[in-house]
Amino acid sequence: MKQAKISFLVVVLLFASVLVSCVPGGAQAARGWSGTAFHDGIVYAGSADGRVVAVDAATGSLKWHYPITAPSGGGLSCGPAAVSAAIYTTPIVEGDLVYVGTYTAQGGRMYALRISDGQIIWEYPRGGAYIGAIVGTPVIAGESIYFSSSDGRVYALDRSSFTLDWSSEQLADKLWTSPAVVGDTVYVSTLDGHIHALSAETGEPLDWSFESQTGFASAPVVYEDIIYVGSFDNNLYAVRIGASEPLWRFAGGKWFWAAPLVSHGIVYAGCLDGRIYAIDAETGEGLWQFESKDAKGRRVPIVSSPYLVDNLLILVNEAGTVHVFDLGDDPVAEPAALKTISIGADVRGSFSAHEGLVYIRDEKNRLNAVDIDRGVVDWMIPLTGEE
Amino acid sequence: MLEVWHLIIGNPILNVLIALSHILGGSFGLAIIALTVIVRLLSWPLTKRQLSSTKALQDMQPKMQELQKKYGKNQQKLQQEMMKLYKEAGVNPLGCIWPMLIQLPIWIALYQAIMRALATTPENLLDLAHRLYSWEMVSQAIPLSSRFLWLDLGGSGDFILAIIVGGTMWVQQKMTTAPAVDPRQESTGKMMLLMMPLMFGFLTLMFPSGLALYWAVSNVIGIITQYFVTGGWGYLKFRSPFQSGPSG
Repeated sequence: MKQAKISFLVVVLLFASVLVSCVPGGAQAARGWSGTAFHDGIVYAGSADGRVVAVDAATGSLKWHYPITAPSGGGLSCGPAAVSAAIYTTPIVEGDLVYVGTYTAQGGRMYALRISDGQIIWEYPRGGAYIGAIVGTPVIAGESIYFSSSDGRVYALDRSSFTLDWSSEQLADKLWTSPAVVGDTVYVSTLDGHIHALSAETGEPLDWSFESQTGFASAPVVYEDIIYVGSFDNNLYAVRIGASEPLWRFAGGKWFWAAPLVSHGIVYAGCLDGRIYAIDAETGEGLWQFESKDAKGRRVPIVSSPYLVDNLLILVNEAGTVHVFDLGDDPVAEPAALKTISIGADVRGSFSAHEGLVYIRDEKNRLNAVDIDRGVVDWMIPLTGEE
Repeated sequence: MLEVWHLIIGNPILNVLIALSHILGGSFGLAIIALTVIVRLLSWPLTKRQLSSTKALQDMQPKMQELQKKYGKNQQKLQQEMMKLYKEAGVNPLGCIWPMLIQLPIWIALYQAIMRALATTPENLLDLAHRLYSWEMVSQAIPLSSRFLWLDLGGSGDFILAIIVGGTMWVQQKMTTAPAVDPRQESTGKMMLLMMPLMFGFLTLMFPSGLALYWAVSNVIGIITQYFVTGGWGYLKFRSPFQSGPSG
């Protein structure tokens, strides 16, 4: 009897332990980390509860919001019939529409909402269907919108007829990064270590592709005829289009998760080791680096891509600290750090800036406007609920 | 506390699992099986002690039945005599519990490692970046494929896997669990024998297939070890405490 009781106790302990293990470190639910987009006095973002929001950039007042949901999956679940979609993509505004991709348990959809009132004008696919979940921000080029999907395909939609131009063959198990469109070619990097070049017209693979022994963590950035992309081997790769070997590799301390920024022959690459590196785009020579630290002096990973406005380089680390650098007249020289401002919450999405204000959506589901001249948070609004 | 856990157990298991996957041709399923074998090898001293206890319990069955016949109507006296018998034989009837308890943190760490390594969401992939060692074979193994046989190792287990896990666990338990000497405890014993397999069958449907694969392989290794160390099927063929004894 005693053995039976102890066995029962062990079973209960087991059950409880496995359940408890979910909390501190099991699967993290997909919540999304949408960035912000500024357009004509309005800031657009995806919230952590699956809403597309439009906020007045000057006052921080909510203009409209639109919740995107998906069926919860049914079955014997006692949960709600519909759940909020996760939004990883940064909204893209073109004409009078804002485009957002979604990530749900069922898959993903691309939505186009009217910027005047947030009503959905079209969605792809229609009729309750889904494609693979969408993580990478779409790219607009000409009359098409290009995006990658977790089903491993790249899609091109016609923006005027809202129909599918093409979908590529399956290029990988899943595609989570944004494609880069240059001229009539679409470039996409894969988690399994390929850079594919597709015809922007038909989606057919072109003759050239690049293969690495390790997967690529970041989206590709094309500058002149070189592709810059971060790898799981802690290197930033520069690959000349058409070449089979990398032009150079630059070693960081961890992954280069965020897509780098390239300007005036210099690559600015934020790294998960908590540094931003300035690298000569042609030679791969490190020019300068800056360590982004928290109040305790620990380096904080950089998840978001840096942003360049006028001659100011803006960097936001994962802990929500905004660094502003004046690049000055000599782009090679280490810049002076002008301001350091904290918004007090983690940041993973990309951000936008306009006339001295940086718009950041944080992981507390708030939208912040940071005044980089005054070094303060100008306004902040919660994106949860009906505010 | 959580950081210490990750530093000592969580992250090492995660990295070893990913490295094994690279060594085994990119198969995450084979990596889980290899890790199971490694864990069973490391816990061999405890397992050996458990099996010795089981064998001793089997050998004691005739004496236990005699005690049952003699003191069947006096439960207190029966318990005292049984404990005396255990003591004389140097057997701890609860010895089988410890190997299971030792495996608890490994199960938890393995569950976390599977979910992190497979990076089923972008959040998990980003989190993975913070936990990987700078081993070349680790970086080359990312991303891992979650497919193994018919299973999605990152998704919940199916009924086939649940039956395999529950079935192998029942066989292993049946081989090692002595039947109740007291007929009044027999129903409780039967219930306990079923409870664990049912519980783990249920957990298989709730948790990642990768973890259930670990349970299934661990059970099979346990059955094989049990068979060869104790020299047979143990109590699996045992029918009643009032019959002649274990037939294994």
